Amino acid sequence: MKTIDGRGLEPPKPFELVMEGIADLESGDSIKLLLDRMPWPLFRVLDRDGYRHNETIREDGVVEIEITAP
Amino acid sequence: MMPAGAALGYDATPPISAPLRYFLTAPFFGMLAGLLLLISPDVLVSRWTPGALALTHLATLGFMVMVMVGALFQILPVVCGAAIPMAGRIALAVHLLLVGGTVALATGLYKMSPPILTVAAALLGMALSVFLLSAMIGLSKVGSGTGSQRDVRLALIGLGVAALLGLSLALTRAQGLPLPMFSMLQLHLGWALLGGAGLLLAATSWIVVPMFQITPSYPRAMIRFWALSCTGALTLWSISVLLEWKILSLILLGLIVALTALFLFTTLVVIGKTRRSHPDASYRLFRLGIWSLIAGLVCLLSTLVSDAPMLRILAGVLIIYGGFVSVIEAMLYKIVPFLAWLHLTQSGIKAPNVRQLQPEDGTRNQLRIHTVALVILLMAVLLGNDWLTRLAGAAIVIEFGWLFFNMHGVLSAYRKTRTDSPARRYSSAA
Repeated sequence: MKTIDGRGLEPPKPFELVMEGIADLESGDSIKLLLDRMPWPLFRVLDRDGYRHNETIREDGVVEIEITAP
Repeated sequence: MMPAGAALGYDATPPISAPLRYFLTAPFFGMLAGLLLLISPDVLVSRWTPGALALTHLATLGFMVMVMVGALFQILPVVCGAAIPMAGRIALAVHLLLVGGTVALATGLYKMSPPILTVAAALLGMALSVFLLSAMIGLSKVGSGTGSQRDVRLALIGLGVAALLGLSLALTRAQGLPLPMFSMLQLHLGWALLGGAGLLLAATSWIVVPMFQITPSYPRAMIRFWALSCTGALTLWSISVLLEWKILSLILLGLIVALTALFLFTTLVVIGKTRRSHPDASYRLFRLGIWSLIAGLVCLLSTLVSDAPMLRILAGVLIIYGGFVSVIEAMLYKIVPFLAWLHLTQSGIKAPNVRQLQPEDGTRNQLRIHTVALVILLMAVLLGNDWLTRLAGAAIVIEFGWLFFNMHGVLSAYRKTRTDSPARRYSSAA
């Protein structure tokens, strides 16, 4: 699974990288996103476009999000 | 898994007009403050002159609180995952009440008019009650959380306490209520600057500083305990002031100053570790604000050993104008273009780069004008020179005019992109 590391990037760069990343996904394929915080605005766009997403907060505070194409 | 209540948050992102109407109005109050210095330079003779009281509230309520309330309409959903119910309508109503209330308060204080102060108290009371109630309803739907989520709540409580004390003071002036004026004034200042504005600055800094200034996070212990400790210390200090326990109140004041200094110096350390090779203008504006707050704190401490009235005025200028106004302007130049980008993207429109929405030159010039105005104003206070005060006033009018021009520029670019681009999915355009 492809991983996008958005940590340490100034907004909206991580958002843009995710949008470019998910544009190439086949139905059912997933990508992983690593961030320093919960990206609430991104979830809205993912929900609007029918992508599924699961979030976990790792022990080191990094937010790990798995995004799956509809 | 997604935390409980998250769905309520991002489903209800407020319209862009909700925060922007505040951001576009706030500079006009800044310009009014500059104008007041320009036409009545004697307002800085003492912090108790009617003009100084009007000036302070134009800066604090008209600029600081105006931007903070507007920002909270966006911070709550974006940072906390909480949404204010009917955000668009509430934002409009609170904005009208806040604008009317601030104009009335500044006029009432300047003219020392009891009827106008009564009207101001009523309008501001309604504005802040509606806003705080709506924000608390929004926050009640998400978990209690730690860090920013909890600290935004504490800041809202602090803002509420400051507002109650301020309204009581206004009514004491207007209606002659038998309240201990001096004690309440001390508490009003403490809760407004630290309990409200300071805590909100910290709560947003935990997230916004690492995010936009590309720095490591604040130390975890600080995020966990700082705001709680401040609120606790402020509460105990308030009780000691009201009960006139002088030694205890002095000790607690020392604790409050130490906590404030801890936040400010930690912020300097954190932003000093930025991964940017060339710090941008917003970064330098933010750093100027933190240094100015430290200088203001030193002036406040000096008042314990010196009676010079100039020290208190210097402290006010350094804390409010050099400190809060600087960090707020720094954040506005990051947040407003980001919001425009976000709303375009969420509407399915390919947004221009944030640097195209707000070119760096605009921020750089803001930093230059603000620094010049601050230096002139500090010199005017130090030398007690009316012409320097007038000059500072003129520079402040230009500064806030420039801020409005740039914020309006982002809005125009946002509108133009919406008009020019037929709605299309971002992903297909990428």
